[in-house]
Amino acid sequence: MTAPVLRIEGLTVGLPGGGDRVRAVDDVSLEVRPGEILCIVGESGSGKSVLLSAIMRALPRGLGQLGGRIAVDGVDLAPLPERRLREMRGNSMAMIFQEPMASLNPAIPVGRQIEEVLEIHAPALPAAERRRRVIELIADTNLPDPPAIARRFPHQLSGGQCQRIVIAMALAMSPKLLLADEPTTALDVTTQAQILKLVRRLCDTHGHGILFVTHDFGVVADIADRVAVMQDGKLVEIGPVADILDRATHPYTRRLIAAVPRFTAASRTPVDATPCLRIAGLTKYYGPVAALDDVTLDVAAGSTLAIVGESGSGKSTLAKAIIRLIEPSGGGIEIGGRDFARLRGGELARQRRLIQIVFQDPFGSLNPHRSVGTLLVRAGMLGGLSRAEAQTQARHLVARVGLKPEALGRKPLAFSGGQRQRIGIARALAMRPSILIADESVSALDVSVQKQVLELLAEIQRETKLTMLFITHDLRVAAQIADHILVMRRGRMVEHGAASAVLAKPSHPYTAELLAATPGQIWERTRHRLFEAAAAEIPSL
Amino acid sequence: MRTRILDRLVEIVGTMLAVSFVVYLVLEANAGDVAVKVIGQFSTEAQRALWMHQNGYDDPFLWRYLRWLGRFVLGDWGVSTHYKVPVWQLLPLRLGHTALLAGSTLLVMIPVSFTLGILAGMNKGSVFDRLISFFCVTTTSIPEFASSVFLAAIFVFWLGLLPGASAMTSGFRIEELVLPTLVLALYSTGYLARITRASMADVMDAPYIRAAMMRGVPPGRLVLGHALRNALVAPVTVIMLQIPWLLSGVIVVEVFFAYSGFGSLLYEAGLNSDIAVIEACAMISVAVVLATQLLSDLLYVWLNPRLRRGKPQAVPLAAPAIGAAP
Amino acid sequence: MSRLPPAFRRVPVLIGFAIVGFWIVCALLAPWLAPFDPLHSLQPLAQPLARDGQGHLFWLGTDMLGRDILSRLVYGARTVIIWAGLATATAYVIGIAGGLLAGFHRGRIDRALSFLANVVLSFPVLVLYILIITKLGASGFNIVLAVTFASAPAIFRIVRALTLDLRERDFVLAAITQGESAVRIMLLDILPNAAGPLIVDACLRLGYTAITIGVLGFLGLGLPPPTPDWGGMVNEGRPMAFAFPHLILFPCIAISSLMLGLSLLADGLRDGRPAAFKPGPGGAGAP
Repeated sequence: MTAPVLRIEGLTVGLPGGGDRVRAVDDVSLEVRPGEILCIVGESGSGKSVLLSAIMRALPRGLGQLGGRIAVDGVDLAPLPERRLREMRGNSMAMIFQEPMASLNPAIPVGRQIEEVLEIHAPALPAAERRRRVIELIADTNLPDPPAIARRFPHQLSGGQCQRIVIAMALAMSPKLLLADEPTTALDVTTQAQILKLVRRLCDTHGHGILFVTHDFGVVADIADRVAVMQDGKLVEIGPVADILDRATHPYTRRLIAAVPRFTAASRTPVDATPCLRIAGLTKYYGPVAALDDVTLDVAAGSTLAIVGESGSGKSTLAKAIIRLIEPSGGGIEIGGRDFARLRGGELARQRRLIQIVFQDPFGSLNPHRSVGTLLVRAGMLGGLSRAEAQTQARHLVARVGLKPEALGRKPLAFSGGQRQRIGIARALAMRPSILIADESVSALDVSVQKQVLELLAEIQRETKLTMLFITHDLRVAAQIADHILVMRRGRMVEHGAASAVLAKPSHPYTAELLAATPGQIWERTRHRLFEAAAAEIPSL
Repeated sequence: MRTRILDRLVEIVGTMLAVSFVVYLVLEANAGDVAVKVIGQFSTEAQRALWMHQNGYDDPFLWRYLRWLGRFVLGDWGVSTHYKVPVWQLLPLRLGHTALLAGSTLLVMIPVSFTLGILAGMNKGSVFDRLISFFCVTTTSIPEFASSVFLAAIFVFWLGLLPGASAMTSGFRIEELVLPTLVLALYSTGYLARITRASMADVMDAPYIRAAMMRGVPPGRLVLGHALRNALVAPVTVIMLQIPWLLSGVIVVEVFFAYSGFGSLLYEAGLNSDIAVIEACAMISVAVVLATQLLSDLLYVWLNPRLRRGKPQAVPLAAPAIGAAP
Repeated sequence: MSRLPPAFRRVPVLIGFAIVGFWIVCALLAPWLAPFDPLHSLQPLAQPLARDGQGHLFWLGTDMLGRDILSRLVYGARTVIIWAGLATATAYVIGIAGGLLAGFHRGRIDRALSFLANVVLSFPVLVLYILIITKLGASGFNIVLAVTFASAPAIFRIVRALTLDLRERDFVLAAITQGESAVRIMLLDILPNAAGPLIVDACLRLGYTAITIGVLGFLGLGLPPPTPDWGGMVNEGRPMAFAFPHLILFPCIAISSLMLGLSLLADGLRDGRPAAFKPGPGGAGAP
């Protein structure tokens, strides 16, 4: 039995006083063996990131290790002086982060930054040899034309390219242990697929032990050997990936897995064909670049259209153009048979109530200085109600989205992310729109909260026959809620059709690429069995 | 990059024209007033009328403005009514003095501010940091006329080490430069040190610094190789913007120490209604302000590789008013 | 101590607050606090702590015209604070209005206003003051005008930058999609969220304005005598400062302390602002 590269025994990390929790990490024990990938899954606040910081002995200010032992490659980290730790960092243990561009110094070419790692940890290496090694490392990550890449600055590379550079830097000294904190979360799904493949390949060839933190069970299914689940700082369950994914024993694990949307189109009742929204030849130019290029489609009343695509696909631009937050360069928009694109001034202000939007970031979408009640009443009044009517509606809406009546008097700061999204939904509904646009509205939420918000939206749609446009990059979410799917790429429509058709038999190769890149598909096939079982035994959240 | 410089040059010319128009408007709109100022208060109506006729002041305002502008651009800056010599004769000496003072101030201010600011920013929250912050706040709170008073009290009257006036009447003497430089440096060092400290503290908190630390980069190398490069961008641009202030904002010091520089020239011209001098000084000042702004923008883009692609960014605030920082 | 808002808990801030408070009290209660009439000639060039014929104590001495310096300082506080306050307030109103409009509407309005601001900003301040004051004469109103001219463009720039940034926030976009009027968005959504940095700037700017008024007084361009004005006092006392340092020492200390107080206050407000938005539990982000 080979010795573990990482062994943690009873690790406890304390939080500064005043929070709702005393411990960020509570009595966690685990091991990582060479050549294996251990994934740590958990929602936000589970302590998974703090765990990684603790291993690197680089906890943020205010947090301190209260107990437990950490040993990397057999060496106990606790008694080591800072100088010794510095020698180990980047050398026998390395870390990669979520934001690739944030890990790189914007003022230094990327090749130099990789070279620096070698300078520090292998000072005996002659300069020419160093530079050769840098090119080799870059080539190893499947980046084309390594010498040219090495001369570039981080802002001249894409997110995926930066992340590969970060990986190259981390692996420069062939560390025994690699810590990865959500390294693919900020990347497009196709890029993510490539990076995951890269990580798996490097691990298999070089035998690193990898501790991979993620919130995405699909990712876990694709690359993990073993899985550990964390909740509120505690390690709730740990075991081989097949055991956890298919036969999880802890109720929290089962609940998390059940909340992951299935990747097959849900069976949906066919929708009435009269279109509520008609878009014809919608275009938007920024200088010479077409952010939107000739988008034409109809959306049937009461149906949900999911607009999917990667970054730069134009899906958000489309949403903003339809709702006229940005002015289209050309094309027509018709809502309920009436021209919306050419309205101006006061008439536009009055007709705006027909189409409303819920934004992505729950923390930026509400004015921190106004109370929920003021927000909703004002929205109601802008929608044509009198103050008294708007106040009654506000009370009704707050209850509808599942919040307590006291919420009306409180300011956004008092609510969690999921609750703020509910408030955002209430605000949009306050104008009694015909169309609701959800612009990545669940992307910033934990998977269990996401499930609740999606269910809320579905209920509301059933009651009010609202037409929904759901912008998302996550095909699983699209599968769960869409009647129709529109795939976009570089401002153009790539594919448009019924959800079941697009998901099962895509007609365009790009769609097929997107579908193939979605992580966790092999797992998907065995999963529906577990899903049915879990749904039957767990009461609704 | 080239189009941007071109745009800016157009902007600069436009601004200078606008400023010249306003200056001329305020000073020479009323031709009668001008006549009084040139010939004197005790002139008669007839003398004034004659002078106005002889000097083209009978013509409509716009015509006069354009004529003046034309002459000005070609180098004819008129005659000083106070000194009775052509304006362009007065300027070189005064500008030279001011440049000398500015140079010595920068020489003191930059190394001290950078050192204090960097050390404070690296150790944010430490006792050292708080001491430096306190020092900076104090020195920027004391207006120049006050610190001139205090320093003069100490060095001239109490210790008797330095001369009280710096008129440079017997040629260049370095002792005469010390007190004015000290007063100016004291004030601006505090200000620049605070900017440097803030910039350094921001950079030290940046994720890429933490990431570098996680790669095992030792602290010395972290600061010199990684942090400084990004932390010095803001202070350098601020220095550029201090230069116009060192030109005319230091009037207080020049007056207090009888240092014959540009600022005091302008001041005297104002007190004596020496219109031609005011006009010339105004145009020079504006030119310096705009030139340093342009230089500062270019420097900012050059130092910040991220911006070389041509994204627009906010121009740093302009230079301090007299006796005050922005 | 713990009942105060977090911004005020640090010692330097309390000191700043105390100093500023002290001078404001002086300004408000000048007629009751000053031992003598500031314009009244009593005994010329008395030293601090000397007494006059009737046994009245000159705490800080008298100036060359026999006026009590302490009284002049106290009344001078009134002059400084009122005029500096007025000038700063006017500059703020103009700067905020312009900045909001330019930042919110962008395009032509922004270009026009920014050009205007740049022209005024490029004007060397000294020239500005000389032009205004020599042309219009020295009076409180003209000083306010001059200082407003000098400060408003800088405030405009700050507000414009804040507005440009805030305008892209989702809650402003949401208000636009709900058909909210531009004026209401600017006043209710953007301005309250810009208040933090603006308040910090206001404290500092008030100080700089006070100093500017002092400097103008020092240069003889300030309020006409015999109005008590700290800068003017230094200017008048300068010729005799060698023999009678108290003539200029106390006004200098006064103005420095006011500026110091405002700076400490501003620093404290800047650092101590409660985190406006600390993201709580809510999620692993995805693009």
